[in-house]
Amino acid sequence: MSPRSSVNGKASSSDRTKELDELIEQEQLPAGRADLAEPPVAHSQRERLLVAVAQTTAEKGYNATTIGDVCTAAGVSRATFYELFKDKEDCFHAAMELSLADAMGSIVAVYSPDKPWATMVRDAAAAFLELLAARPTFARMAMIEAPASGERAFQLYASGKRVLQSLLERGREDPVEEEAIPTSAARAALAAAESLIVGQILTGNTARLPELLPDVVYITTLPYLGQEEALRQAREAEREHPAADR
Amino acid sequence: MIARSQRERLLDAAIDVVAEKGYAKTTIADLTREAGISRTTFYEMYPDKEACFLAAYDAAADVLARRVAAAFEAEGEWPARTRAGLEALLGSLAAEPAVARLALVDFGAAGPSAQRRYRAALQRMTPLFDEGRDFAPEGRRLPPNTSRMAIGAVVGLIADEIEAGRTEKLPDRLPDVLLAALSPYLGPEAATSEVEKR
Repeated sequence: MSPRSSVNGKASSSDRTKELDELIEQEQLPAGRADLAEPPVAHSQRERLLVAVAQTTAEKGYNATTIGDVCTAAGVSRATFYELFKDKEDCFHAAMELSLADAMGSIVAVYSPDKPWATMVRDAAAAFLELLAARPTFARMAMIEAPASGERAFQLYASGKRVLQSLLERGREDPVEEEAIPTSAARAALAAAESLIVGQILTGNTARLPELLPDVVYITTLPYLGQEEALRQAREAEREHPAADR
Repeated sequence: MIARSQRERLLDAAIDVVAEKGYAKTTIADLTREAGISRTTFYEMYPDKEACFLAAYDAAADVLARRVAAAFEAEGEWPARTRAGLEALLGSLAAEPAVARLALVDFGAAGPSAQRRYRAALQRMTPLFDEGRDFAPEGRRLPPNTSRMAIGAVVGLIADEIEAGRTEKLPDRLPDVLLAALSPYLGPEAATSEVEKR
């Protein structure tokens, strides 16, 4: 029943941070970065196209979006488009990579070996929801259009999910009864949170995603900490991030 | 009467063709050929491919939702009825892999309208899950979106199996799926003992 007060110190600080980097690398995800503002300051035609593909697919859906739409939105010529990208999917894929790098960046930024696992989950969930809320266009592209846009973007999305799943699985390190936790627990918890987030984006409430923090913290800590402690973690998350009250 | 059966043939055809070729590659000609109807008849019923696909989607979701609800009406307390409902869901999907794929995996490719239909179909399960809140000792303290998340977990686990090509084996996943449905309300320990009952 007692809350986890520390993570089992098997690895040193730097080892554990490295683990996360390795995890990201192993999934062949771009390294985290967290400096993309929305609307991003477009330093190059390439970046303008990446922002434009995110915007047009968010508005029209991936299938209905044409290269012409993307070029018009970016103010870039078709010839330039084809110098930079092979086709629509290639451009979309590059934009997906950028947003995944952001998402990983937001998690790397709060990941610390000195934090107990539950604190890490609270902080990572808060950072992730705030990132999506702050970049609604990218949120829609990454969470909604990715499955519709072909195999490559879908695989990127799946890789991102696997990284989160591995992080969640660390809740196993010191559970009350480890053998009682089925292997499907992390997938179920992530699917629950994902479905909630996607529903919120589809109903046009992306800006209010941070309000879902207590729900997300509850469902992701539940399999590892039990109901009483998961409810406590949800209240704690709400207290730490009062934006979730509004 | 004939119009109705043509419509049914067309909706069945839409499910089979989309499951086989994917939504993007499916043409109206594929649909009319498979259904054995004329192009004119198609356009009398639907303005375009998307409208036809969405109607097929709704019809398939409707059949599934009614089967699950009927099984859920069984005797017993909420966990036992949830077990019956999920058993019916997994059994139906396993028996019709094309419908399963369309309903839970391929809908995304058809764009935002299909996504909204998908969400609406999922919402139809909400009342069944909400009963868990009344049944659970901690029901009043649970986060507001518990039912939406429990449905998301159930559907997510099922979609993983379908994508991995294990649709026919879905009934074997009942313990995991039931645990994902019950845990958010009862907590993992009580949910595990419910799953192990039988």
